[in-house]
Amino acid sequence: VSTQSTWGFQESKDMMKVFQLSTRITRFTLLARVFSAGPPPLKMDFSEKVNTKEVTLKNPDKLKKMNICQAVNNAMDIALATIPKSYVFGEDVKFGGVFRCTVGLNEKYGTDRVFNTPLSEQGILGFSVGLAAAGCTPICEIQFGDYIFPAFDQFHNEVAKYRYRSAGLYNVGGITCRCSYGAVGHGGHYHSQAPEAHFMHTAGLTVVIPRSPIQAKGLLLGSIRSPDPIIFFEPKILYRMAEDMVPEEDYTLPIGKAEVLQEGKDITMIGYGASIRQLMMASKMAEEKGIKCEIIDLRTIIPYDIETIEKSVKKTGRLLITHEGPVTSGAGAEIAAKIQERCFLSLKAPIARVCGFDTPFPFVYEPFYLPNRFKIFESTLKLMEFQLKQYISIQSVSYTHLTLPTKAQVQISVVAVSLKKKPT
Amino acid sequence: TTEIYTRSIVGSVRCVQETGFPIFRTMDLEGNVSDSKYEILDKPTLIKLFDIMVTERESDRIALNMHRQNRITFYFSHLYEEAVGPAIGAAIKDEDKIVLQYREQGILLWRGFSIQEILHTVKGSNKDHAKGKALACHYSIPKIGVLPLSAPIGSKIGHGAGLGYAFRTQKEDKIAVTFMGEGAASQGDFHAGLNFAATLGSQTLFVCRNNCYAISTPIEDQYAGDGVAPRCIGYGMPAIKVDGCDPLAIAYATKHARQMIMERKGPVFMEVYGYRGGDHSTSDSAPLYRTKEVLAKLKPYLDAIGDPIIRLGKYLEKKGYLANYKEQMDKVGKAAVAECHKYAKEMDETPYPEYKTMFEDVYSYTPQNLQEQMEQLDAHIKKFPEFYPLSDFKKKQSLFNLTCLLYTSPSPRDQRGSRMPSSA
Repeated sequence: VSTQSTWGFQESKDMMKVFQLSTRITRFTLLARVFSAGPPPLKMDFSEKVNTKEVTLKNPDKLKKMNICQAVNNAMDIALATIPKSYVFGEDVKFGGVFRCTVGLNEKYGTDRVFNTPLSEQGILGFSVGLAAAGCTPICEIQFGDYIFPAFDQFHNEVAKYRYRSAGLYNVGGITCRCSYGAVGHGGHYHSQAPEAHFMHTAGLTVVIPRSPIQAKGLLLGSIRSPDPIIFFEPKILYRMAEDMVPEEDYTLPIGKAEVLQEGKDITMIGYGASIRQLMMASKMAEEKGIKCEIIDLRTIIPYDIETIEKSVKKTGRLLITHEGPVTSGAGAEIAAKIQERCFLSLKAPIARVCGFDTPFPFVYEPFYLPNRFKIFESTLKLMEFQLKQYISIQSVSYTHLTLPTKAQVQISVVAVSLKKKPT
Repeated sequence: TTEIYTRSIVGSVRCVQETGFPIFRTMDLEGNVSDSKYEILDKPTLIKLFDIMVTERESDRIALNMHRQNRITFYFSHLYEEAVGPAIGAAIKDEDKIVLQYREQGILLWRGFSIQEILHTVKGSNKDHAKGKALACHYSIPKIGVLPLSAPIGSKIGHGAGLGYAFRTQKEDKIAVTFMGEGAASQGDFHAGLNFAATLGSQTLFVCRNNCYAISTPIEDQYAGDGVAPRCIGYGMPAIKVDGCDPLAIAYATKHARQMIMERKGPVFMEVYGYRGGDHSTSDSAPLYRTKEVLAKLKPYLDAIGDPIIRLGKYLEKKGYLANYKEQMDKVGKAAVAECHKYAKEMDETPYPEYKTMFEDVYSYTPQNLQEQMEQLDAHIKKFPEFYPLSDFKKKQSLFNLTCLLYTSPSPRDQRGSRMPSSA
């Protein structure tokens, strides 16, 4: 309660200054609002069309503008309508969900099938295993990926091993666990985590992360119908930001297959979820320098599509992997190890991982923490500039052609190699 | 009925209640039933119950001896808890599903699982339905409605809640019987599972076998309250404590519990008081912590509950269904032992499944990484076949071969938990 009974002239002038300042700040922040943490994005259209190589639509003209939230809602609506033993449940699911992904489902299908659970992630997953063991299709929701850990024992020791320990007599393939994921601009430790790496180490689990509404709907329907249990991480920053003209019909996208979004000859870039946007912006920046980037969306993080990645790296010779989660033992570490096993001689430069730091997800430092397009761009340049000959002295060379060979024709067999200069 | 107040006899002195929950029993130690309304089982069922209990005790004894001969690697004994499984099996329907913890083998025998199959499962031979993947005694048997066992304690309580919910919402006349020990009732999964079952309405019968010990942890170190059943007041579900060495009481309580579950469309909890007569498993040695002093303290409780086989035998004699229960024990016991020996020989001779089976059933398909790893192992074994026990996974094994192994270089399998002299 103000102790002043009247505003004097000076006070009202100050108040005007505050008001003008605040409108200026609001206007500025509105510009930067789209990516609340970090610089405003490049003006690019991230909306997509359905990849006709992957899916043939029955009604390709029946499209509706949807964001990821609505696409996921649509997918669950179709699942509940077409699979009689399916259920959608989780915390706050009944009124529509805290991200509004389950709006209207309870009214349409009833509380037996779309319901709130008590607040217990370990309970939600244990309950899902029971439902799936009875042959049902539980589509459970974990509100934030940060809170998936109480359920980790159920995922790791029960869900992943159910089929294995019964030698296929039982399975819990009906489980699809939807979970919000990743940085959102102001999430801090517990609303921004990217926990997919913890699940990569568990044989038997499948993790799927979509990048756009078309992908989200198709991959979610693919996950629900998959005979294996799947964790579906939805990048929460894209819930409303990503918009596509999504087909209204029932279509599924393949699980376990990566997608090449953009062909290029210089460098292969791998990402998933919201990182795809950073990759696309970085590749636009790189194109100005004449670097042609090949962008691959991993989509299924485990088991991942190594063949697509290998084919691309053998073509370009350079690999960059980006993800929001911490760099140590993240998805990038696994892919890098696998690629160096398979494509060692094709690599022209070391594999770069542009990822989050090995810290808990910080609150105000998010613009510095996240792997953004500038970090990706810098890595790209470094990879392109990396010249092996700085570090290796070739002691003998044998030519396979007698005529003066062009660069493309020379086959250098490096007989002895010594490091001339210690690589930094 | 003679009421036993556990508080006054076995620990739990920190409980704030003045008196404990009473324990339901129908039959005293001499086999006198207090009221004829409790005699709901007919003669063939009672004889079968008695026979199965004796078979369980005798086959356990033989299996423990076989473990000492290093013919099996692991086993659980059910001494003094033989009544729980068969009595519950007698009172539920054949369609009801069972989620076990691990000390309820009697219900498998009741439902027709044979000693031959048990022995093959315990060994993990190629006649084991789980193809040797699960730890010994971790059953998954769809033909008698037993869900895959797993070692983590308490994790299957939530599964029972989910199963029961599927039965209710699919309008099936089935319940899910979920077993646990009093130690499992301390887990978070217990709380989550019971809360979910009660709040969402699952057709589940939770059965807690309170046998005073969780490996070496006595109940004074497990909880401060009056056992496990009173916790259900908090969850909002009916609960009962039953004398675990009184098969009639267990059967009666289970039958009424099942009726209650189907009427109120919600779960019921049964705490069955018994005593774990043997070790926790073949890896445990109870005399280390169950010293003479401890046993002296437990004596009033053990005297109060007695031996289930003797109690039932005396009751059957009084009813005239058996002329002499000791003779029946002898006869059935000898038959069980003979069957054990016959199938033990077969078990010894049956090899384990092929090592390639290790790579199956992780997913519903074989992903690329497993295909690659399988090929790597194949190539490796071709180069170093002598270091791998391929003969155990290929040729039939007899007792004669086993003694020969003493004189050959010990393979990795023999050294694992072996009690035979290692390079004799």
